[in-house]
Amino acid sequence: MTNEFDVEIIERDDRSALFVVRGLTPAFANGIRRAMVADVPTFSIDTVRFVENSSVMFDEMIGLRLGLVPLTTPLDDFEVGETVTLALDVEGPATAYSGDIETSVPEVVPADENIPIIELKENQRLEFEADAVLESGKVHAKQQGGVAVGYRHLQRIEVVGDAPEFDEQEPNILRGVIETEDGELVVTDEFDNDLTQRYPGKEVEVVDVPDTFVFDVETDGSFTVDELVLRAIESIDARAAELEEKVSV
Amino acid sequence: MSYKCSRCKRDVELDEYGGVRCPYCGHRVLLKERARTVKEVDVE
Repeated sequence: MTNEFDVEIIERDDRSALFVVRGLTPAFANGIRRAMVADVPTFSIDTVRFVENSSVMFDEMIGLRLGLVPLTTPLDDFEVGETVTLALDVEGPATAYSGDIETSVPEVVPADENIPIIELKENQRLEFEADAVLESGKVHAKQQGGVAVGYRHLQRIEVVGDAPEFDEQEPNILRGVIETEDGELVVTDEFDNDLTQRYPGKEVEVVDVPDTFVFDVETDGSFTVDELVLRAIESIDARAAELEEKVSV
Repeated sequence: MSYKCSRCKRDVELDEYGGVRCPYCGHRVLLKERARTVKEVDVE
């Protein structure tokens, strides 16, 4: 494994990214994916103290909904296991949204303000205090920072000839990113995911490019995609260093 | 144990001798109120 990685970013947003990495083994690609899902910690609500809940849902059900609200996580300022206190007080008729949650630390707030927690009618009230804890996705799925993380082989399209003249062409659906014969990377959205639209009247062959993977990464809003990927790789690095140290002793 | 009578809506205290009956109006349907203490729930 002395070959160098070659990374090409195709799409990059605050919360999602699409990039191609060359020089990866399938095992290592999967290692990165798993680290993004399970090793990067995020804040999420873990215990809730209900002062009043006269809504139609049980305390436990509201608790489950609260656990799934993504909270912004400044990973430099907190250690795993630290807690932050949040509170909410909403009186009906109104809908309690994640944006109504107040926090004791201004850096840890709900990543989205429009997640409905519960609809309250006349004379119903929801008031609670909650502790959010910083933990990794290994502990509970609600702590996952990467929520839609996947990869696939980069596929290369080779034109092998013309399609038979009177044949009706069946749609040839591909998703993600393809590499054309001259090495250009094209997102399949550009031709409606259908190869017959990009190569009309041609017969094409699809081959996997060895050791090259297209990563499609999305976060829940706790931090940016860049931070998720870098932290995941750091965690692999730290574990490898630990193994090296333990083995050499 | 504190209950609420479903007919006259008054708070009712029950003891082990009186049976299940509202002492004010004699109604036999009593509702149990939610405790006013803070309830802690673990999110799992």
